[in-house]
Amino acid sequence: MVSAKFDVAAVERLGRHLAVRTGAVRVVVSELRRLPHGSVQENWQLRADFEGGVLAGRQHLVLRTNAATRLSESRDKASEFAIMRMVHDAGVTVPEPILCCTDPTVIGESFLLMRWMPGSAEGGAIVDRLPVASRELIAARLAQELATLHAIHPPPAELAMLGPPPRDAAQQRVAEMAQALERRDDPYPVAEWAVRWLIRHAPPPSAPVLCHRDFRTGNYLVDGDRFTALLDWEFAGWSDPAEDIGWFCLGCWRFGAREREAGGLVPRDIFLRAYEAASGTPVDRDRLRFWEVLAALRWLVIALEQRDRCLIGGEASLDLALTGRRPAECELEILMLTEAA
Amino acid sequence: MRDRPDGLALAAMADAASTEVACALVERARAIAARERAAGAAPLEACRGALVAIYGEGEFEALLRRLARDIRAGVYDAPGPPRETVRGLLWAMTRQKLSESNPDYLRAAGIV
Repeated sequence: MVSAKFDVAAVERLGRHLAVRTGAVRVVVSELRRLPHGSVQENWQLRADFEGGVLAGRQHLVLRTNAATRLSESRDKASEFAIMRMVHDAGVTVPEPILCCTDPTVIGESFLLMRWMPGSAEGGAIVDRLPVASRELIAARLAQELATLHAIHPPPAELAMLGPPPRDAAQQRVAEMAQALERRDDPYPVAEWAVRWLIRHAPPPSAPVLCHRDFRTGNYLVDGDRFTALLDWEFAGWSDPAEDIGWFCLGCWRFGAREREAGGLVPRDIFLRAYEAASGTPVDRDRLRFWEVLAALRWLVIALEQRDRCLIGGEASLDLALTGRRPAECELEILMLTEAA
Repeated sequence: MRDRPDGLALAAMADAASTEVACALVERARAIAARERAAGAAPLEACRGALVAIYGEGEFEALLRRLARDIRAGVYDAPGPPRETVRGLLWAMTRQKLSESNPDYLRAAGIV
């Protein structure tokens, strides 16, 4: 159980902190193991015995904390926790958020605790191994989950930390991406091609809703052939609902099943019809194309940031280094999408 | 033109990777390094040649930077031969990068 992050003293401090927060007499942490899911955040499976308090008994939880370096878009743990609580209460299927700790003296940094949920988020396995019927059911469920999320409109007081919603999410995102490219030393001509296309094809503003902003295969759990939970809320914020759909449909997140444009699960129209039925809102296909190009550009920018965690931030990770070679995938998507428009 | 880290750096990281690192990652890093080594400098020369044809002689990075700046400024927005030339160059660069970094992605997209 002892690791670089959790030495014996840290585990004991964690147990004491959990006891105070839950009203337990004592909490004994019996297992703390890093889960494979998450490259920006670390997720640790935690088993603990709570003597009394609101969590009395043996609990199976997940402790979520930052990796050694983080991305510019990542929200802090307190914000992520507030978002998870909000969407959980709204009926979106997420692991139940239990508590958030921002005291760095406990384990060295902020963390949030949520209930463990069964399943795997491994995108390749979900796309490759599930039969058509299971993929269709999961896609329909995801459409329903997304519609439930998108029914949250600003401004709930609980999400004040998100700031005011953008007056024009499309324009704001393009400006953010353009600025991100300007901060880089290396030139990225295809990314600039995307910026120009996005400027010239920006849709009129839409009413902002709460968006996940990393809604894709690889960020939800599937247990057997059953959807169990939507994960990774660190990027969530107010936006155009088409941002989530465009991200979900991006070619990079189909795990090789290109013809199944909706997350590698089903053809795009099947997912869009399910979302339209669940939300009662038609999806404008031209608006969706804009957000898909934006998704390709954003993933390119994020991939470069991930690479920098290794090349500049000093995180010795072959996975992060290889992510530095993924912008070319985004560039292909940009060229194909802007060609077809 | 090539994304970083280059093949040499990836191969070094793969060689130094601990046994806990997934074999698939190590193999992927080595495969990129091998494809990049096989391609050599020819793709960079071809790209530089195309940039020289547009802008005249200059250092490769400076020419690439100018291309990016001009695209951002809208120089190639209007339909016509300059836009088509740049579009063709962007496609060629992207195809070449993917043929080294992830040829499977290129094939899956129906582009060979």
